[in-house]
Amino acid sequence: MAEMIIKNGVVYDPKNSVDGEKNEICIKDGKIVDNVGAGAKVLDAEGCLVMPGGVDGHTHCAGKINTARIMSPHDMRYSPIPGLSGPEPRTKLLRPQVGYNTPNTHAIGYRYSKLGYTTIAEAAITPMMARHMHEEFESIPILDKLALVLMGSNWQVMQYIQDGDSEMLKSYMAWALLASRGYGVKIVNPGGGSNWTWGKNVTGIDDKVIDFDVTPADILIGLAEANEALNLPHSIHVHCNNLGVPGNLPTTLDTMKLLERVKASQDRQVMHLTHMQFHSYTGTSWMDFASGSDQIADYINKHDHLTFDMGQMIFGPAMTMTADGPTEYRNARMFDAKWSNYDQELEDAGGIVPLAYTPQHFAHATMWSIGLELALLVKDPWKVMFTTDNPNGGAFVNYPEGQVLLMSDKKRQEVIAGFPDMTMDRISLPNIDRELDWGEMTVMTRSMPAKMLGLEEKGHLGAGADADVAIYDVKPDKVDVSVEHEAVKKALGFAKYTIKGGEIVVRDGDITALPKGKVYWVNAYENGIVQTEKDRLITDLEERFKKYYSMQFSNYMVEDAYVPRPVEVRPEVA
Amino acid sequence: MPVIKDVVCTFCGCLCDDLEVTVEDNKITKVGKACKLGRAKTMGMFLHERIEKPMIRKNGKDSELEECSYDEAITKAAEILVAAKRPISYGWCSTSCEAIEKAVVLAEETGSLFDSTANVCHGPSALATQEKGAPSCSLGTAKNYADLIIFWGCNPVHAHPRHQTRYSTMAKGAFTPNGKKDKKMIVVDPRNTDTAKKADLLLQLNPGTDYVLVEALRAIVNGHADVLPDEIAGIPKATVMEAAEMCKAAKFTVIYFGMGVTQTRGRYKSGDNVSSLVSDLSQTNKVVMIPMRGHYNVTGFGQVAAWEAGFPMALDFSRGVAYYNPGETGTNDVLMRREVDAFITGAADPGAHFPQESIKYLYKIPAIQVDGYANPTTEFSDVVIPAAIAGVECEGTAYRMDSQPIRMKKLIETTFKSDEEILTEIIAKVRELKGEGGA
Amino acid sequence: MQTVTLTPKRSPVISIEAEMITPDVFAGKSDAEIGAIPAWEGNEEITLADVFDVAVDGSADAAGTKIIIDGNVPRVKRIGEAMTAGEIVVKGDVDMRCGALMSGGSITVEGNADSWVGREMTGGEILVKGNATYYAGGGYRGETCGMRGGKLTIEGDVLDYLGEHMCGGEILVKGNARLLPGVLNWSGTITIEGDTTLPGGEMKSGTIFVKGKVLEMLPSYKDEGTEEVDGVTYRKYTGDLSRNGEGVLYVSV
Ligand code: SF4
Ligand SMILES: [Zn+2]
Repeated sequence: MAEMIIKNGVVYDPKNSVDGEKNEICIKDGKIVDNVGAGAKVLDAEGCLVMPGGVDGHTHCAGKINTARIMSPHDMRYSPIPGLSGPEPRTKLLRPQVGYNTPNTHAIGYRYSKLGYTTIAEAAITPMMARHMHEEFESIPILDKLALVLMGSNWQVMQYIQDGDSEMLKSYMAWALLASRGYGVKIVNPGGGSNWTWGKNVTGIDDKVIDFDVTPADILIGLAEANEALNLPHSIHVHCNNLGVPGNLPTTLDTMKLLERVKASQDRQVMHLTHMQFHSYTGTSWMDFASGSDQIADYINKHDHLTFDMGQMIFGPAMTMTADGPTEYRNARMFDAKWSNYDQELEDAGGIVPLAYTPQHFAHATMWSIGLELALLVKDPWKVMFTTDNPNGGAFVNYPEGQVLLMSDKKRQEVIAGFPDMTMDRISLPNIDRELDWGEMTVMTRSMPAKMLGLEEKGHLGAGADADVAIYDVKPDKVDVSVEHEAVKKALGFAKYTIKGGEIVVRDGDITALPKGKVYWVNAYENGIVQTEKDRLITDLEERFKKYYSMQFSNYMVEDAYVPRPVEVRPEVA
Repeated sequence: MPVIKDVVCTFCGCLCDDLEVTVEDNKITKVGKACKLGRAKTMGMFLHERIEKPMIRKNGKDSELEECSYDEAITKAAEILVAAKRPISYGWCSTSCEAIEKAVVLAEETGSLFDSTANVCHGPSALATQEKGAPSCSLGTAKNYADLIIFWGCNPVHAHPRHQTRYSTMAKGAFTPNGKKDKKMIVVDPRNTDTAKKADLLLQLNPGTDYVLVEALRAIVNGHADVLPDEIAGIPKATVMEAAEMCKAAKFTVIYFGMGVTQTRGRYKSGDNVSSLVSDLSQTNKVVMIPMRGHYNVTGFGQVAAWEAGFPMALDFSRGVAYYNPGETGTNDVLMRREVDAFITGAADPGAHFPQESIKYLYKIPAIQVDGYANPTTEFSDVVIPAAIAGVECEGTAYRMDSQPIRMKKLIETTFKSDEEILTEIIAKVRELKGEGGA
Repeated sequence: MQTVTLTPKRSPVISIEAEMITPDVFAGKSDAEIGAIPAWEGNEEITLADVFDVAVDGSADAAGTKIIIDGNVPRVKRIGEAMTAGEIVVKGDVDMRCGALMSGGSITVEGNADSWVGREMTGGEILVKGNATYYAGGGYRGETCGMRGGKLTIEGDVLDYLGEHMCGGEILVKGNARLLPGVLNWSGTITIEGDTTLPGGEMKSGTIFVKGKVLEMLPSYKDEGTEEVDGVTYRKYTGDLSRNGEGVLYVSV
């Protein structure tokens, strides 16, 4: 492959301590290298902002979203952000695009690329549905992908924890990642998914799961310890109990404290908490509900075993989809909204409900504020990932909006000015004037997610990194984002260049090439589990398949055919 | 003798994946564990003959089909599609998802309408999903948990013969270790079907009154039994009350609904009201619904079309991006209006299942058939392209009625091209004709 | 005042999609400019001049623009889509989605209208002198609200799902309405002067008057006795109780 050199860019590469310097970036064979030959193609960045390609470490982009598509033909025509949403006819190069919250696979690939994002992590898939997810992955062009596999209400997991059989737990986790060609361990409403199959839920980390003698706390600790024992690149990735419930703050704090006792196997967190905005509510009902962001931020500022993502809300229509089945049912009944549900045998629950968020409603205005408060009150950007929990809090095409909000107090105040009075004593955002700089923004959207996931070739521009680069039509040394937030937002939505694996895939906001992305997955099974333990696991699984599953054991595992461009990550065996 | 285990049956939406197939001399000689339907399908015992060679009619509809090469047939197919202003691509429900993906591309590039067999069976289930959602579960969850099974407008004894033993009434699961003894069964059907004969309660409603019955059940669940008349949908109020009580008493109810719900008066509005009934009942205990899909991969069509292009059926690519509006863009909607000027169908038999008026019209326009077997559709097709049988002669993905994807196996060798290959070649030809080649 | 007369040149079989036929688009344009406006015939992009002879008299803004379609256009879809002002008169039949998303102005169809006439309209008035088919004043697939405002009058009969998902506005059908008028309604008023079947299925709120007969009544409505409205005595029902609805269904006695 040809060599390339990017010149005259203002480069932000926090991992390598590059903070807005006019460095040159050399690319060869899809990788960043220290230097290239004289014949390298020169890309003149003309003084523009250069960052590593964006990494979305938590998005719902394949699998459950397809049911959401079938539920929302009307979404296919929404176009609040021209160029990044709504119907667009096919071209000689591009497939047709539709949708806003639930775009088709092709639109997902094109639009993330336009935003300068090059890697995405599907945040919730059961092993049994992984085949479907990989089919969609294969259909999403350009981007590299990985999947977080749901294990927090899994029968095998709960059984082995109940039995105190940590070896079986480890073996099963490793096997489940192999079976699903998954990357990391996701825990959604631990134990609650299992109870939801009976139409019930759990209300805190010490509740009992109905069919197993375990609590959510047992599940969290069990999976976290096994995750570290397996030396997986990513920590457990947790969606706490009581999502979206006023007064859920103690549950979230309990969960954070609980994990203090687990030791990380490598230089990263032991737990990533996702969409924290939905888990930071004080009060006892929607009437007295308020932001608990100060308490969450205070805890995180004082402890180093955690990272989190925002789950920022974006005003307008959203589509909620989560393995948190009971939450979705509650939403559907509360808003008289459409409701899809799926209880996956032995593995987890799930639901989908469309919602709309409006700044005129104090509850929504408060939730919107909480996401921003969390990101601004936590001092170390390496603990914070920028997300909207796409499309739960809002569609990913709104990332520029959310990012600019973090960089402009003025923009925030403009929005807050439209909030109902009832919002004001519930939030602290009006008094927070921190504005993130480009270095911090690069951390939250690239470097931190890559580190948090353990993706060494992503999120930075040092030699050996994948040549995924985003160049935006912003002159960092000339623009005052605080004031010129609209122009910056536009520039972040339509990259001047997006380079993926050394290839220019976006130029001036338009897609120029359609390479196929890789799929990262973790094989901790083959070398990580000894043969006797493998045998013990397989014997037990065969029995369980016979009795409880509706599919044959031999037909269960995702076949290689579904992962044509795998990147197999093998953790070092401790 | 080589026995291939855990073979996926590619007949009905149950997608039983435990078949044992014996292959001798590249012939399937024995199929174990399948039901009658599955065995016949897997062994290739059909009413109709295999299409042995590509064929075209050289001189219009009245001329005979003449054998030709794959190339000739594929070229002719591409020419027909490129020349058309309002082509339609229909079927693709008894084939692999990989083939369906190609069919989407072909439809996009020829500005076609694109629709599945759901147009004549389960389309209303998708409509219900977009109106109310799909509160559902996997078949294994149903087997493990359900203590009340409701078959609404479907007759699994005949259409899905292994459904009851594998997944529903007779299946033994974690919380139903005694199978049938741990379960109750309600059948809602105007006829006393073979399935109904085994039911604990039969709601034998008047034909076309499904919607009315759902309304009554919802009224009961929501505390308004008092307003109901003495008879609802031809059923005594007391019997309807009894059904509602059974639902309330059950811990986990599954409603399996079939074409009886989706193809009667009110059509999808009945299905979507069932979805609301599920939501209402779920306030006190667990209830879900699962569509009883016929064609083994009609679910897969919906999945693929939705992720590739945004909608599960009835897509209209005439303006370069899909527009969707069943009633306007469904196959029979446009056929009845005689709007279509070219027709391609694969792995389906519209000739046997469409309304008479649509079929009559299909005799008037250029038609292309891609299929393993000759059938009534062959009679009006101008281009006939033989295809390998997915799940027997080539592998690929299919989605079970509960949206569970399973990989189909290849059991024997064949010289026929797969649907996927045929479509890929037609696409290449179309690009060539349109001067969009290269890609 | 600007008057634009479109005279059909041919009777297409494949429906023409002509969402640009609105006073908003035509206002201030010459006949040549209007003739060059794109439309679609199947997968082929054409112009209005391919289908119509165009004659323009005067020049005005949208509110001052009147479009006369001087003939039968049963295969021209989306006439008057999203119009905000002005007037359209069609001297014959129209195809689907006439007046969809309109917010102002008026459309008169002297013949019949095909399905989805007035789909998701928010304002303005549509008068169909003949019959309409399915989903008159209905919604788009998946959307919670259908018609939100304005007035839709059909002098003849309609088929199923009249005013489906209605969230506001007014519908008057002088003939019969077939199955499930007012299904899934949130608000608005529907008046059916003829007969109908199963009115008000899953109505949340809103009002339906049936001046003819209800051929089949849903079981989930509560009989509230008789009530007089505008000098007519009706039997009053509330529901749909299947979903704890608070709609009102008046059926003349
Ligand atoms: S029930 Fe259906 S899938 Fe199973 S063997 Fe019979 S025909 Fe095949
Ligand atoms: Zn999420």
